[in-house]
Amino acid sequence: MNSKVLLVGFPNSGKSSLFNILSGQRRKVTNYSGITVDAAQGDLLSNDQYENKVKIVDLPGMYNLVPTSIDEGVTLNSLLNLTNDVNYNLVALVIDLERFESSMSLCLALKDLIGDKLILIINKDDKKVITNDQRKLIEDATGLKTLTTSTKQSNVREIDRFIRDSIKEEVTITGKVTLSKECLEYIPDYKPIPQVSIEEDQKVVLDQINQYHIKAREIVEKIVRPDSKRVEVTRKLDKLLVHPLWGSIIFVIIFYLIFNSIYEWAGPLMDLVDSLVGQLGEWVSSVLPDGYLKSLIVDGVIAGVGGVIIFAPQIGILFFLLSLLEQSGYISRAAVLSDRVMSIFGLNGKAFLPYLSGFACSIPGIMAARTIPSKKERVATIMTIPMITCSARLPVYILLIGTFVPDEKVFGFLNAQALSFFFLYFLGSFFALFMALIFRLTYFKGETSSFFIDLPLYQRPRLRIAAGTALQKVKFFCKKAGTIILVLSIGIWFASTFPRLNPSEILNKDPEVVASLQLQNSLMGKIGKTIEPVLKPIGMDWKMGVGLLVAFGARELFVSTMGTVYALGEVDEESSTLRQRLKLEKDEVTGEPKFNLAVAWSILIFFVFSLQCTSTLAILRRELGNWKQPIFAFTYMGVLAWVGSYIAYNFLS
Amino acid sequence: MQVRMSTLKIGEKAVIDSFPDNSQEGLRLLSLGILPGDEVEVTSKALFLGPLSLKHCKNTFFAIRRSHAKKILVRLIN
Repeated sequence: MNSKVLLVGFPNSGKSSLFNILSGQRRKVTNYSGITVDAAQGDLLSNDQYENKVKIVDLPGMYNLVPTSIDEGVTLNSLLNLTNDVNYNLVALVIDLERFESSMSLCLALKDLIGDKLILIINKDDKKVITNDQRKLIEDATGLKTLTTSTKQSNVREIDRFIRDSIKEEVTITGKVTLSKECLEYIPDYKPIPQVSIEEDQKVVLDQINQYHIKAREIVEKIVRPDSKRVEVTRKLDKLLVHPLWGSIIFVIIFYLIFNSIYEWAGPLMDLVDSLVGQLGEWVSSVLPDGYLKSLIVDGVIAGVGGVIIFAPQIGILFFLLSLLEQSGYISRAAVLSDRVMSIFGLNGKAFLPYLSGFACSIPGIMAARTIPSKKERVATIMTIPMITCSARLPVYILLIGTFVPDEKVFGFLNAQALSFFFLYFLGSFFALFMALIFRLTYFKGETSSFFIDLPLYQRPRLRIAAGTALQKVKFFCKKAGTIILVLSIGIWFASTFPRLNPSEILNKDPEVVASLQLQNSLMGKIGKTIEPVLKPIGMDWKMGVGLLVAFGARELFVSTMGTVYALGEVDEESSTLRQRLKLEKDEVTGEPKFNLAVAWSILIFFVFSLQCTSTLAILRRELGNWKQPIFAFTYMGVLAWVGSYIAYNFLS
Repeated sequence: MQVRMSTLKIGEKAVIDSFPDNSQEGLRLLSLGILPGDEVEVTSKALFLGPLSLKHCKNTFFAIRRSHAKKILVRLIN
């Protein structure tokens, strides 16, 4: 015997997690609505123990039976059996306790459509606990079998049995659903069937949903009581936190403090990680004999991966603090307060958090964009986040501004170096929003920007959860970015080490000069020479080009590469010798200094815009689900970078 | 008295009268569990014509853009 079970529920209610633990598959599971956009089918893991072979189908989320997007239409398509020859035996509706009333409304609508071949699985009860008595009340009120579970700590066997025991013969659609004319275009295989009536007047359709909500509310009021104390606390806090004036001031203070703590707290931790990496390198150097292997491990792997790993504390602290804010319920208030500014750029308040995270690192920022419901707004946000000045650009800014911008006052009271920093941050942020606006007016046009958000009741954030989130993100960062960076570092090492020079060419020469000559002769050096014509108009030579190329692996590699290129070996951004060397570097032909204010600004502007980060590209690919858009982002940022550098260089020289 | 939701002042209570025809507002608000006939109270209006924050019935809160609120008719409660 074969049976089929459909998993239905709100977006982000945990259907896919349930599907994964039941079928042993790995569908992408995230805390964002709309990740599942088409149906997936799998066999129950327990099928080999039973006669009845059960297939489960994971469907995209839906709010009610009236679709407003294609993914909801896909689900209705399956429910109404519009595609031939695929019938099913059972619908398991996943109820989201955080949206209990609306979930209940969907439940009632489904019950009217398919009768009692519907079971309820109440998810996420690790956050809000539902007692057994309450579960029974739900069963009584709906007449449907109900199981409470949390996919995080669940008993797979229990859910499996619950589903198996509920399977009967195939579903016949006994009820009717009224749809508006507009929503038919979202249903992929729509054809007229007697169970669907089409209504010209949208009011009738809304009224139908409304009726279900009223009934659902009656049921819910019997089962859970509002927590009047928390409501009162929320009311009082909101008086201050979303107050037109005070709310905005507190908003700025909170986020200033977050940034401040990222820099203040992460500093010592970064130094610690950095020194550990250094010690590891020294230890490996002392153990291994001189040669390629040692160079590969010390200069390639440890220097490359270590240079990136030092940013793990920042990621950890950022996510720890953001988790506290998220748990408390403040983030939705921040979205409200920033919505007005965001709407100017065709975005909405939900884009605020992703951009903010982007100041630490594009990767968490891009991931945070998952909370933006409109796909076009989300893509416009994701495609522009990499222009926000992330912390990896800082070493480059510090080196170049510290060396070439004079430490003097401008306009009487402003420090020229501080002003330069501010300008670079401003430039990145402004262009990120500006490009988002351009995207929303052109490529991602339409879908009028909208903003509806529920403001959850405040709750005391739990440190343990925040620490768990932070740890998980740090692990993810080290693992994912680490693997990519590792491969890349090895690649860069090979490209800048081979082909080798003949021993005769380096006879009796200073080791530093040999390193420089060797680099010139290496693949990386040759590539640098090849792209030199493109770099000439923006004032750069092949050595800087090599720095830019290497920075495509990770921006902070620019500084250490410049050190190598200028034959000084490992040099960090505080090294005054590298600074002197940069200042002393002369053009072989004219004898003029290679570096001047114009060249420095050309490089700085290049770094502001250019998407020089393979980890970001990898995350973009993952989040957007295609290569086309990441490549487009890479290209337009590259063009902006080049044009910006060209303007800066020619303006200043 | 029937007015637009966007014109409510902070602290004023009203009952939602109707959602506009053929627009996204109705469906989106229904998805948040906000129905015609429900009581709302404006708790804040963000700067520069930013979104409206409201308390809904006894125990929930939500916010919407003023452009959406403009389309929703409400009846003031004294």
